[in-house]
Amino acid sequence: MAPTQVGTGIGIANLPNQRHKIVAKNGSNFTLMVCGESGLGKTTFINTLFTTTIKTPRTYKRRFNKTEKTVEIEIIRAELEEKQFNVKLSVIDTPGFGDYTNNRDSWMPIIDFIDDQHESYMRQDQQPKRNELSDMRVHCCLYFIRPTGHTLKPLDIEVMKRLGTRVNLIPVIAKADTMTPTDLHKFKKRILEVIAAQNIQCYTFPLDSDDEASTKRNMSIMAAMPFSIIGSTEDVVTADGRTVKGRQYSWGVAEVENEDHCDFKKLRQLLIRTHMLDLIHSTEESHYENYRRTQMETRKIGEPKVKTVTNPKWKEEEEALRKRFTEQVRLEENRFRSWEQQLIAERDRLNKDLEAEHSHIKALEAELEAMQAGLSPKRK
Amino acid sequence: MAHRIRGRKNAKKGFQFTLMVVGASGLGRTTFINTLCDADVVPKRECDEPEMAHVEESIKIKPYTVELDEDGIKISLTIVDTPGFGDMIDNEYCFQEILGYLERQYDDILSEESRIKRDRRFRDNRVHALLYFIAPTGHSLREIDIELMKRLSPRINIIPVIGKADTMTPSELVDFKKRVMEDIEHHNIPIYNFPYDPEEDDEETVEENSELRSLLPFALIGCEEEIEVNGRRIRARQYPWGVVEVDNSEHCDFAKLRFALLSSHLQDLKEITHDYLYENYRTEKLSLSSGEESE
Repeated sequence: MAPTQVGTGIGIANLPNQRHKIVAKNGSNFTLMVCGESGLGKTTFINTLFTTTIKTPRTYKRRFNKTEKTVEIEIIRAELEEKQFNVKLSVIDTPGFGDYTNNRDSWMPIIDFIDDQHESYMRQDQQPKRNELSDMRVHCCLYFIRPTGHTLKPLDIEVMKRLGTRVNLIPVIAKADTMTPTDLHKFKKRILEVIAAQNIQCYTFPLDSDDEASTKRNMSIMAAMPFSIIGSTEDVVTADGRTVKGRQYSWGVAEVENEDHCDFKKLRQLLIRTHMLDLIHSTEESHYENYRRTQMETRKIGEPKVKTVTNPKWKEEEEALRKRFTEQVRLEENRFRSWEQQLIAERDRLNKDLEAEHSHIKALEAELEAMQAGLSPKRK
Repeated sequence: MAHRIRGRKNAKKGFQFTLMVVGASGLGRTTFINTLCDADVVPKRECDEPEMAHVEESIKIKPYTVELDEDGIKISLTIVDTPGFGDMIDNEYCFQEILGYLERQYDDILSEESRIKRDRRFRDNRVHALLYFIAPTGHSLREIDIELMKRLSPRINIIPVIGKADTMTPSELVDFKKRVMEDIEHHNIPIYNFPYDPEEDDEETVEENSELRSLLPFALIGCEEEIEVNGRRIRARQYPWGVVEVDNSEHCDFAKLRFALLSSHLQDLKEITHDYLYENYRTEKLSLSSGEESE
């Protein structure tokens, strides 16, 4: 049924403006996760992206005290305002990921965190009162790839596979100023080949749009994936006198916002200017719905999630505790047994004494009888 | 000066030197080897099928021998590459592989020395120095770096280097080098730090060695291609924002390291390997076996 054109405008066309007013009043809520080995420029990138110090750079004074080999989840909250429009930003960092000799299962805390946010939202949604929902579902995950120039590492592939099915995954090439343009091009091509061959789901968005310019821009953004980035919060002066955000080397200045040097501008456009809402919506509409569907197929409403404790560290502790308790029980049993032996020995000894006394009494009685028998015939 | 006099006598015969290169893939190890020898010694890594990219490759040990000519002095250089180090998800196994290789070379020498009739042309495959490539994270040493250096330092001279040093600006490089040396000191890792004695050695030696010591860990950049800069053909990497020259001491420490390894400190590294590291291994090994016999 084709829509009927309304003759003279009745105001339906004003709906987008009403929507705009509502969104402008409520503000928006955006959660971004950065994932990757330490030293790839994640913190610097976040600060460069939002042109403000969201996360303070690491201090090194306490690095000798750290003994735990764990992957942590760090949440940083900020509220950004531009032209009276508010965004509540949450940045999730994953310090410790990929940093150890043995990184087996190091992705579990990250995957669990993402699932937990979906779970938490689902539970809240099922409550009778659901006006004040706290929503920390991750809208986008930037995975930082080390600029080796070869290919993706097995660890990268394992993690990206698991991330791609749960969250909007955007792979980025970190510290791209390590690579010459030809090397970078080859590296990107190889990464895309591996992503396709390994069935890793990355974020995609509809390319076609209303106007020609947007379509072209969308296509150039998609073509640049994975995005090569350089991060810097410092102002430096280039050879031709411009002051830009960049990195000053002895041989030149690598500029952050120069599209010949890196894809930072394209990524920023994607994340903020053009596709932030799409990232939020696709998280709500496809990733969350996926999660909800798979959970509801096996669980009833209100039932808690079945948690499989497969953490090997806990298993070891469990084993150790079990051993300790078995040992203690064995010791106690031994103690009781030897006590029992002692008591039995004591009883036997006492019984023997008793018998000895008894036979002594019998002997005395017999003597007494004999004496009595001896006396009585004399009296007759 | 003694080693230089000896050098003149050996110049005709030439020197033999074995260098091992260890580091995670993508840190410029292969390129460094080819840049050092100024030739295509190690073939470029063939990236396997994308479908196989998730398969973990364990560490391999690959020696290559090259004949070099340093200012008229012949050097038979053996480079032992270790592709696959640090590439797996669980890397506990890598250390034992490398340690096993180093100890096997010592074992060969030990058994050869104990022979009644020794082979004069026996080839000494002991490794004289190990270049460990640190990733240019800009923070500090990672767990795998510390573990490797700790476990291998009793058997070999370790020289830490920073791979792909053109990732860092000059100030970042200074801070990173400082933190790496602090980490090494904190964990008591005995690396080869160009030892000198201020009282015994002459001023020139003291100055030379303390300068090299201050450059530790060496910032390396490798490049196999030559490009034209200002009319000259030099080895350099061309970026959109500038050109990084490999042989320029202001850009990286490659030239200084090359000179130290192949000229000034070659003999010292060999002597420490033979007189100290090998002797320690020999003592440990023999007291172990004699301990078993006496039981």
